[in-house]
Amino acid sequence: MEDYDYLFKIVLIGNAGVGKTCLVRRFTQGLFPPGQGATIGVDFMIKTVEIKGEKVKLQIWDTAGQERFRSITQSYYRSANALILTYDITCEDSFRCLPEWLKEIEQYANNQVVTILVGNKIDLAEKREVLRQRAEDFAEAQNMLYLETSAKESDNVEKLFLDLACELIREAKQNKLDNNDTAPMPGEGKTISYLSCCSLN
Amino acid sequence: MAAEDLPSEFDVVILGTGLAESVVAAACARVGQRVLHLDRRSYYAANWASFTFNGLLTWIQQHQESQVEEEIKDWSNLLEKGEGLIYLSNPESTSIRNLQVFCFTSDEDEEEAQSPDSPNTTEEKAVYESEERSETKSAGLNEEETKEKPEEASDKEEKEQAAQREALEPAADKPHPSAAQSQSEPTQKNISYAHLVKEGRRFNIDLVSKLMYSHGSLVDLLIKSNVSRYAEFKNVTRILTYRHNNVEQVPCSRADVFASRQLSVVEKRKLMRFLTSCVEETEDQQAYNGRPYLEFLHDQQLGDNLQHFLLHSIAMVTEDTPTEQGLAATRHFLRCLGRYGNTPFLFPVYGLGEIPQCFCRMCAVFGGIYCLRHSVHCLLVDKNTNRCKAVIDSRGQRISCSHFVVEDGYVGEDRKVDTPPRFLSRAVLITDRSILPSDSDQQTFYFNIYLTDSLPISPQVSVVTVPPIAEGCPVVKMVELCSSTMTCIPGTYLVHLTCQSVGSAYDDLSPVVTRCFHTPDSPDQDRRPSVRWCLYFNMADGSGVEVEGHNLPSNVYVCSGPDADLGHEHAIKQAKSIFHKILPEEDFCPPAPNPEDIIYDGENTSATGDEDKDGEKTKDEAGEDKEKLEEQSIQTEE
Repeated sequence: MEDYDYLFKIVLIGNAGVGKTCLVRRFTQGLFPPGQGATIGVDFMIKTVEIKGEKVKLQIWDTAGQERFRSITQSYYRSANALILTYDITCEDSFRCLPEWLKEIEQYANNQVVTILVGNKIDLAEKREVLRQRAEDFAEAQNMLYLETSAKESDNVEKLFLDLACELIREAKQNKLDNNDTAPMPGEGKTISYLSCCSLN
Repeated sequence: MAAEDLPSEFDVVILGTGLAESVVAAACARVGQRVLHLDRRSYYAANWASFTFNGLLTWIQQHQESQVEEEIKDWSNLLEKGEGLIYLSNPESTSIRNLQVFCFTSDEDEEEAQSPDSPNTTEEKAVYESEERSETKSAGLNEEETKEKPEEASDKEEKEQAAQREALEPAADKPHPSAAQSQSEPTQKNISYAHLVKEGRRFNIDLVSKLMYSHGSLVDLLIKSNVSRYAEFKNVTRILTYRHNNVEQVPCSRADVFASRQLSVVEKRKLMRFLTSCVEETEDQQAYNGRPYLEFLHDQQLGDNLQHFLLHSIAMVTEDTPTEQGLAATRHFLRCLGRYGNTPFLFPVYGLGEIPQCFCRMCAVFGGIYCLRHSVHCLLVDKNTNRCKAVIDSRGQRISCSHFVVEDGYVGEDRKVDTPPRFLSRAVLITDRSILPSDSDQQTFYFNIYLTDSLPISPQVSVVTVPPIAEGCPVVKMVELCSSTMTCIPGTYLVHLTCQSVGSAYDDLSPVVTRCFHTPDSPDQDRRPSVRWCLYFNMADGSGVEVEGHNLPSNVYVCSGPDADLGHEHAIKQAKSIFHKILPEEDFCPPAPNPEDIIYDGENTSATGDEDKDGEKTKDEAGEDKEKLEEQSIQTEE
């Protein structure tokens, strides 16, 4: 038996350079990697948190740089429980691209995915290009949660992932109540390793 | 999203994101090569791709439009001394042809269609994509657009896009008798075309139809490399065959054999004895080398039933396949049986188009750079060494590389080894029920399709072998997918037919479709599944394409497109051979470290390391990873 009550897959998307990797590393490792440079060989990071006495394992997936030329594979979105759509509050362009990202989410992610919009880099307040109100309005219109963070100063990073975890637990419990035998949704299939566990030869 | 420039130096540049190219990309990046992976298309996986329903409509439209030849720009100003140019061509112009679409859905909304008395339910309409509608070109297809053409109620329109040389024929009106069709399906809901479009994103329709052999080279590679973590799989649950105008289940596992109702006790005993005996190679078998497998089977005195099952459904070979090949295929089948389930096959959830993408993800995780909608226009060749030194991309940037891997469609015909071009015939059908409803399917069949979700059904994924239905007809392989594979919506089945082309896809496959399914062309109405929508097309057969030997520089390797085989052996073998030509000393796709095993140094100690850029050390001893993989079960059902 694994030592957790829930396992959720969280996927980060958004333009290159908005600080996706920094958010993950701040949360999972408590550090802010200075300078650029893709993280070679790391698929996803893991952190187990405890919420109201329940152990929640968060598997956080990064884009592996495929967003740079807008070439994220569809399979990246599959079976994600939550999406963190990130933009940079000091970069108007990264905000303006959000509708494109939403289109991609609608196309490939599953219907029940929880999406949260994150405006990162609030430590650079003097360079802000996207007003908070504007982002909040946008998030509300799109039915998303909204949060502003600083991976550098560690502002709201913990809160971001813990809020998401709470929301996912709430949804998971709701789903169980609504429908014991849910329609085939992502996660229906099995990983090869799981399949092989079942076989005898 | 900004038009950032690509770096100008790589070890390996790969053009095309088909399966073989993607595996090469992952393998190269995994061992530290700097990889640039491009595709001219806006989607991954080239001819291995899968599409939503709407995405497929767009794809069809793109292929029906007359291809505008791209202007060949003169890049000779970028040449350095002693260099020559080789221009590449457009892959889409040659590999897909003879597209034909038929739609047999009612346009009535569901409430009306539910009433069996409604005269409207008898109407069959064909909606087709037409060239004239060029205004929809880039917008994709939405509901209004696709409903633009519903013609007279009982008319069926047929759009024939003939081979490229043919001029565009006007749509031929072909009236079909459509009387009294409602009688066959009294309580059934017709799925409207609008519904297919509306729910279009829940379809994942593959251009190729293959299955993964449980012990095949693809599954082995997915496990070895840890790429399997990016996908989920389902067991193929049944093997069926078409025989005497009927679809029958083929018993192949021990449990199946004993449970079978079609087989007599004597047959069961004979089959078990045969299956046990053929695992070992015997002298008796060797005596048949070079002679047809059918002859061997015949001499085993198995009887017609068993002979049919063994030849067509287990070995999946033809009547004149030599015995040694037939036996090898039978052994492969048996080896794969029982590893994961009752049949030797797996199918990836969301369709086969996921698999190349999974390898691309692995490549990207190891630093590979990805760029769709981006191509290579020409190669710069050093005249002295006959090696490709660099490529010119579609933006006119010179990118140097040590090796260039390319999908065969980009290579001009004039440079290829002279092999007669072969084609596959493909059909894709959306049907309303399984070709062989299981008991529980039959129970739920009469319920509203939207309720079936919550009823306990045992969804089936079936492979159906169809021997030649007449002299000279091809062997057809059919795969029927249910909605739990995430390739179609509840209440529908997605059926893929494939064969080696004899004529056009329509010529080769429509006779089988007419026999196995209910279409306006079917001779009678019975309980066969109705076809709601179908697509025929031919695709270039990749099985004859060689990796090397073309009139190309020595460091340019050609990857072929999909072949007709059910498994993936060809593409994986090809990828492996290309990888070993590029990097003879390196391991092919060693296991990627498990994220849970990665130990991070607290501090960013160095930024100089090449692989461990961010100061993390990876612990990737193969043995340990294997164990971890076995324990790890990300999704567990039940």
